[in-house]
Amino acid sequence: MNWETATSGYDEVFDGADHRPRPHYAPLISILESFTRENLERRERLQKLALMNQGITFTVYGEKEGLERIFPFDFVPRIIPASEWKTVQDGLVQRITTLNLFLLDVYHEQRCLKDGVIPADLVLSRKEYKRELLGLTPPKKVFTHVVGTDLIRSETGEYLVLEDNCRCPSGVSYVLENRTLLNRVFPEFFASYPVRTVKEYPTLLLNTLLLVAPRPSQSPVVVVLSPGIHNSAYFEHSFLAREMGVPLVEGRDLLVEGNHVFMRRTHSKQQVDVIYRRIDDDFLDPLTFRRDSMLGVPGLVNVYREGNVALANAPGAGVADDKAVYAFMPELIKYYLGEEPLLAQVPTHVGLRRDDFRYMTEHLGDLVVKTTGDAGGYGMLMGPFSTKKERESYLAVMKRNPGNYIAQPLVHFSSHPTHVNGRFEPRRIDLRPFILNGDRIRVLPGGLTRVALRPGSYVVNSSQGGGSKDTWVLAPREP
Amino acid sequence: MILSRVADALYWMGRYLERAENITRLLLVTEEMASEVVGLDEPLARGEWNELRTIFPGPDTAEEQVPRALRALAQATLYELAIDPLHPYSIFFSLKKARDNARTVREALTIEVFVTLNETYRELEGYTRRQIADGPGFRSALAATQRGIFATAGAIEQTLARDPGWLFLELGEEIERVFRTAVVLRLKLPALLSPAPTVDLPLFHSRWRALLRGLSSLENYRKVHGARMEAEDALRFLLFDPHTPRSLRFGTAAVKDLLERISGGRDLSLPARVIGRLAADIAYQGQDLLGDGKSLDFLDHVLGELGRVHDTLSTAYFGT
Repeated sequence: MNWETATSGYDEVFDGADHRPRPHYAPLISILESFTRENLERRERLQKLALMNQGITFTVYGEKEGLERIFPFDFVPRIIPASEWKTVQDGLVQRITTLNLFLLDVYHEQRCLKDGVIPADLVLSRKEYKRELLGLTPPKKVFTHVVGTDLIRSETGEYLVLEDNCRCPSGVSYVLENRTLLNRVFPEFFASYPVRTVKEYPTLLLNTLLLVAPRPSQSPVVVVLSPGIHNSAYFEHSFLAREMGVPLVEGRDLLVEGNHVFMRRTHSKQQVDVIYRRIDDDFLDPLTFRRDSMLGVPGLVNVYREGNVALANAPGAGVADDKAVYAFMPELIKYYLGEEPLLAQVPTHVGLRRDDFRYMTEHLGDLVVKTTGDAGGYGMLMGPFSTKKERESYLAVMKRNPGNYIAQPLVHFSSHPTHVNGRFEPRRIDLRPFILNGDRIRVLPGGLTRVALRPGSYVVNSSQGGGSKDTWVLAPREP
Repeated sequence: MILSRVADALYWMGRYLERAENITRLLLVTEEMASEVVGLDEPLARGEWNELRTIFPGPDTAEEQVPRALRALAQATLYELAIDPLHPYSIFFSLKKARDNARTVREALTIEVFVTLNETYRELEGYTRRQIADGPGFRSALAATQRGIFATAGAIEQTLARDPGWLFLELGEEIERVFRTAVVLRLKLPALLSPAPTVDLPLFHSRWRALLRGLSSLENYRKVHGARMEAEDALRFLLFDPHTPRSLRFGTAAVKDLLERISGGRDLSLPARVIGRLAADIAYQGQDLLGDGKSLDFLDHVLGELGRVHDTLSTAYFGT
């Protein structure tokens, strides 16, 4: 079989000049080589059919309404040895601890601003910073119950944090479904590997949510709040509700009465204790945030303020995953924990700083520029792949609001063999582990590996032609 | 108890799923009947198609839009009622609606139910106008769809918890079923109750058999009456037989039972009371209703009361 190796960046599978598989990939490569091309194609067809029939789809915005797509799945799994995972896990625990301390601080004493660790105007000017929530402490002091942190690997294979997602990180349903699917289509892969399970996630998530219930003694009612079927992540909202065995609600199913939240049911109302909300802050409550929101629940934030309902993640948590705040994470880790960061991150220029912005405008062709508020690869300029004209028009928009932009050098992040058109070709991948913050911080042993399916592409977002892989975290072998 | 929105969606999922099966079955029966008699009695064949178009009216019922030539009429009706995405009574439209509703409440269903329904929908989605226009192609497509709908009903029966959600899903199915029986009878009976004196008797019996088959009741009828075909027996059977699932008596009793269970020992809700009276009328006064022309008036009454049940459900349970 023909294996193409990466021409730039770290190759996850093949090593050195002779392109031998790394030890933890050797068994997988030999299993794959035992398949005929026809057999592989047949399995791949079965896999696509299974995805369509099970309705594991997402909705693409900006195309015709209601268009469902399957999230392309590549059957070559990504394998992470136990020792590598330990670094990732410890680094993420450190990071999520810091993010929560930071959030508690910026909504209370603002010590980090007064001590000049991060510029006050940078934090306070973010639209994700909700001054309406100043002085409010969420139950158990947890702001981010669920975080998805995006990691990439540098040219030497070092894991780098690309961004934290502290609002409504999505993708965990694919982590679970990818495992089921791969096991169904290629059961023989699993025989030679101690793959840690990811199927515990719904239980862990439910426990995390129950922990912050305001009435812990009275079998609290947990719900998943979704914007509805037209949201791109609707499948996941429904999936998580089903897996946790809790109701999936929309804003119109909830109402506020006497400072409590209730669900409208066929015969009576029922009080709700914990809302795992998959709606952005701005749409949560038209009385507090955006007045035109049809998705939210009028009065919800007041109930939250009174401590009669818990919201996960807490409103206002979005300021912690701001791309400009990200630039200061290494300092924040040292400031709050007195530790060196265990995970490195990508050097970042912050448009708010005049010198940085000048550098950005002068080196636009070498940089990846992102807007601070957007996610999903929207509003981004890939400098090295842009035309002069694209850069000029982007620059014109940038100059209107420099503080809205950050820039990073292009990292040639790692590639992984991926089955494309009957061949195994290298494609760039990232990794989004999911971290739950309950009685302690737990990292799900697995994650969403997204893969840029177009040759040479650096964009892994599902909305922009990305796919995904099953991600195996291996258990340590018995000594 | 469940969310009102979920109850509403499950109710409509049940209705559309049942409707899809009804359209499928009546299309299959009509096509077979019409193609069999076309040489013998062309106006009858045309009448069969036109009646089907009345039972399942399209968005544009203007006279001049209906094809004159029989073959064109048959093909247009097959296409419209099978896979036309814009026809509100096409199988495709109904399955799509059932699936759309299922998608909004997936957490209230089992994987088996959703996957079976989704596969059935996706298979039908793959058929083209050309495949449908060809007789055998049409029959195999529709038979596959019908099996898929039965499989979905089977998955519901085999895997869903008998909780309030299931009650609303079943309620939708039963209301749609009994309503469709009443519509079909109301439309077909005038011609079948007062045949012309010169009627071709074997052909007349064929039409009754087609009606029974169209309501999945021919075999059940034979178990009671054998192969002997008497108009009055067949009519009584479709109205009052307590065991065949598409008789009016069976259907109203099923709806009544579900609405009582949904009321759950509390005071009966308004829709439960409406259907309770109707079911009692059918069960106990049925025999008096069969005199001249009375059965048609009675069917009008049944249709009106079923409409009231549907309307009052919204205010009682769905909060709309």
